[in-house]
Amino acid sequence: AEKTYRLKLAETWPTNFGVFSHPAREMAQLAEQMSNGRLKIEIDTANKHKSAFGVFDMVRAGQYDMGHSASYYWKGKVPNTLFFTTMPFGMTATEQYGWFYFGGGMDLMQKVYEPFGLISVPGGNTGMQMGGWFRKEINSVEDLNGLKMRIPGFAGEVLAKLGASPTNIAPGELYTSLERGTIDALEWVGPSMDLRMGFHKIAPYYYTGWHEPGTELQFLINKKKFDSLPEDLQKILMTAMKVSAYNMTIESHHASAENWFNMKTEFPDVQVKNFPPEVIAALKKANDELLVEAAAADPLAKEIIDSQTGYQKLIRVWTDIGERAYLNSMAEE
Amino acid sequence: MFLLRLEQTIDRFSDLLGKIAAILFVLMLFNVFYDVVSRYLFNAVSIGMQEMEWHLFAAMFMLGIPFTLRAGGHVRVDVIYEGLALRKKAWIDLVCTLVFLIPFCLLVAWYGVDFARESFQLGEGSGDPGGLPYRWVIKSVIPFAMFFNFISGIGLMLRSINILAGRHQDDDYTPVQH
Amino acid sequence: MIGIIMFFAALLMLLVGFPVAYTFGGVALIFGVFAEGPDIFAFMPFRIQSIMENVTLMAVPLFIFMGIVLQRTRLAEQLLESMGQLFGGVRGGLAISTVLVGALLAASTGVVGASVVAMGLISLPVMMKYNYDKRLACGTICASGTLGQIIPPSIILIILGDVLGIPVGDLFKAAVIPGAVLVGAYLIYILVIAWAKPEMAPTIPRDDSLNRKQFYIKAISSIVPPLALVLVVLGSIFAGIATPTESAALGGVGALVLAILYRQFSVKMVMEASVETVKVTAMVFAILLGATAFSMAFSYTGGDYIVEEVLSNLPGGATGFLILSMIAILILGFFIDFVEIAFIIVPILAPVADLLGIAPLWFAILIAMNLQTSFLTPPFGFSLFYLKGVAPREVTTMDIYKGVMPFILIQIIIVISIMVLPSWYGLV
Ligand code: NA
Ligand code: NA
Repeated sequence: AEKTYRLKLAETWPTNFGVFSHPAREMAQLAEQMSNGRLKIEIDTANKHKSAFGVFDMVRAGQYDMGHSASYYWKGKVPNTLFFTTMPFGMTATEQYGWFYFGGGMDLMQKVYEPFGLISVPGGNTGMQMGGWFRKEINSVEDLNGLKMRIPGFAGEVLAKLGASPTNIAPGELYTSLERGTIDALEWVGPSMDLRMGFHKIAPYYYTGWHEPGTELQFLINKKKFDSLPEDLQKILMTAMKVSAYNMTIESHHASAENWFNMKTEFPDVQVKNFPPEVIAALKKANDELLVEAAAADPLAKEIIDSQTGYQKLIRVWTDIGERAYLNSMAEE
Repeated sequence: MFLLRLEQTIDRFSDLLGKIAAILFVLMLFNVFYDVVSRYLFNAVSIGMQEMEWHLFAAMFMLGIPFTLRAGGHVRVDVIYEGLALRKKAWIDLVCTLVFLIPFCLLVAWYGVDFARESFQLGEGSGDPGGLPYRWVIKSVIPFAMFFNFISGIGLMLRSINILAGRHQDDDYTPVQH
Repeated sequence: MIGIIMFFAALLMLLVGFPVAYTFGGVALIFGVFAEGPDIFAFMPFRIQSIMENVTLMAVPLFIFMGIVLQRTRLAEQLLESMGQLFGGVRGGLAISTVLVGALLAASTGVVGASVVAMGLISLPVMMKYNYDKRLACGTICASGTLGQIIPPSIILIILGDVLGIPVGDLFKAAVIPGAVLVGAYLIYILVIAWAKPEMAPTIPRDDSLNRKQFYIKAISSIVPPLALVLVVLGSIFAGIATPTESAALGGVGALVLAILYRQFSVKMVMEASVETVKVTAMVFAILLGATAFSMAFSYTGGDYIVEEVLSNLPGGATGFLILSMIAILILGFFIDFVEIAFIIVPILAPVADLLGIAPLWFAILIAMNLQTSFLTPPFGFSLFYLKGVAPREVTTMDIYKGVMPFILIQIIIVISIMVLPSWYGLV
């Protein structure tokens, strides 16, 4: 009989975490079927390993062979991992896939992960994330001043530059904190996940997104383990990851549409808002300044940022003539 | 009398850990208080100060565990234990420390060293702007605390041995529980 | 299979009487290493780190500190005594006051370790002083200390909301009536037992030297300050000043302010209270650490699959399923932590409940009530360990085990009533 290879995968997500839970499972199933049972992948959720943000370390150390997570979670360990999930005012999911697979993104990602004995592969996209739930309207940049908002990471840094106060709140206390006004605003994911938290009942304004235009999840693989697989299984594994990531991207789009529709039907009072152009311009300026700082600090960061902004410029022209023009022409009808 | 002196030395060390943990607690109390006040009154939030809360909290209870072992504060199911003679209790403590406590603490400490070292080598810090750097400091509390726990366990073992050798009065041994 | 043997091994070893935390850890070590090799323990630092970073758990030392300061300044004692005296001829006044204070604390935290320990420090000594039956006292404290699980805000409701896909706010609202009913049931039980067996819950004698007016003034002056403190804690959450966890710090600082006002403040007192806080907190967290090692060894040796298999094959229609799943959760609650149950067991049961047309809100409240019971059930009920950790020496584990029995029974009755009459509770 042929040798069976068993891999163990750790997810950052808890059990049954909506669309986030699908890519790893589908990937495992595809890999097993395509390999005729020679490749078996066992999945442990965060409820089993209890360490949502230990996935990087556990895969690196070989305690797990693979992980399913998001690259920007590792920014505290390896700052350049920040760039491979999504960036404020960055590319949409489709554009970003273009960058990964045809614009040099994949090579840059491996350049960041290889020193740690890891391979990182796109793991499915949540699509556009919403800008968050606000208890008060944002009409000007001044309204951001002193705004207490739960918004982690780079986007929080952007807001802080405009005088807002990014705040840490334990997920279990987010609801009470927003309800009681301990914080003024928070960002979570989008209709599919936010609905489960019930934020639509305690904050009237749902702002459209700017900070996570296309959040790409990630498959992490221990490189040594990957290299020990026969070549055909390596190919099968890579294909299974790509297919399941693609499917999650589509499913997220679908689920958001469906959940948005349900929420709007059940709670017609939710008001969708766009940040005024003045605010967006100020956020964009702050964002650009931070990117310049990041690029100056590290040559590899500069290489990645240059590659991303260059590619975005190139592809946005086409997005504008293509999809944007089309959508605009529809809107005018 | 060497064993008795060694036991006392270890006890003093554990008590010191307790004092350190107590100071960490007071710092934590006022840290949280300060964060609440500055956020509510001045809309000023420091992610670094917020992270300091759990750093102090974690170091406090981790260092508190070996101290509590020496202070007799860990809960026992005393359905049988309570009624036993002193020597039998000492035997239970001696054997269980050897079989349960020491291997457990040493094994976790051993893996904890790698855990902290990884963090040190990566130069890991907070992923949030304004967060605390040097994550290895708080991570290395795990191996240290587990090792201290092992030392405190040696203390408990010595106490049991000293009881079995007749070097303790009944009163010395009675675990103080509030 | 190993998982099951492990359970019974832990049970036996706990009886030997070595500290619970290390017994869990040691049993996990022996079975984990035997089945999987020592490398399974490479997961331990990650699990410990998760506990260290869990800021919600900061409420534990903060509440304990508040409790200890209130106890040292005798403010808590005066509060309970005065409340007890106000109940006058009604027997069981102290126990009733304990339940009421417990319900108030429950409204400000969802962390059981925090409230049971704080209640144990505050009211157990007072009840002992007035010759309450040890078992009644312990049962009352454990039961009212776990009220935090069902009275919002509560961790278990948040987790269940996430797992079952119900907005947290809805769950919080739905839990209010069942929580109130539970408090009411405790009170009735105490009144009945105190009436039937007066020696178990004596009345507190009034100070005869005081006239009526003086008595009320004294009572009010000893009730108001600590009660104001609890209201500050609760109020800070409702006013949006602090998160529930942070409110516990306001309670701790507030207790120190009271100590200053009553001229009982000294650096020495703060340091002693703090050392005591460390000791009790470490007791609670050592158990959490031991338990996480235990559940690690359990699930990595395949225990989670056994549980999954049994539960996914529960027979019966809607009623049969409800009954069997509640019994299953109750029994599992004897052995496993509520978080494990919420995350591992509930996702298995939820789709079946959905299929059978059981309203998710109803199902969630039933599970929450049931899990609350699991904190009280011997031998692994964490509340029992926590109370034992702060109880005077003359209180034995057996006293606590026996003392909670009636309260477990009450809980089961309430669970059944919710199951039979969900509409009374506004759940369907
Ligand atoms: Na988000
Ligand atoms: Na609560």
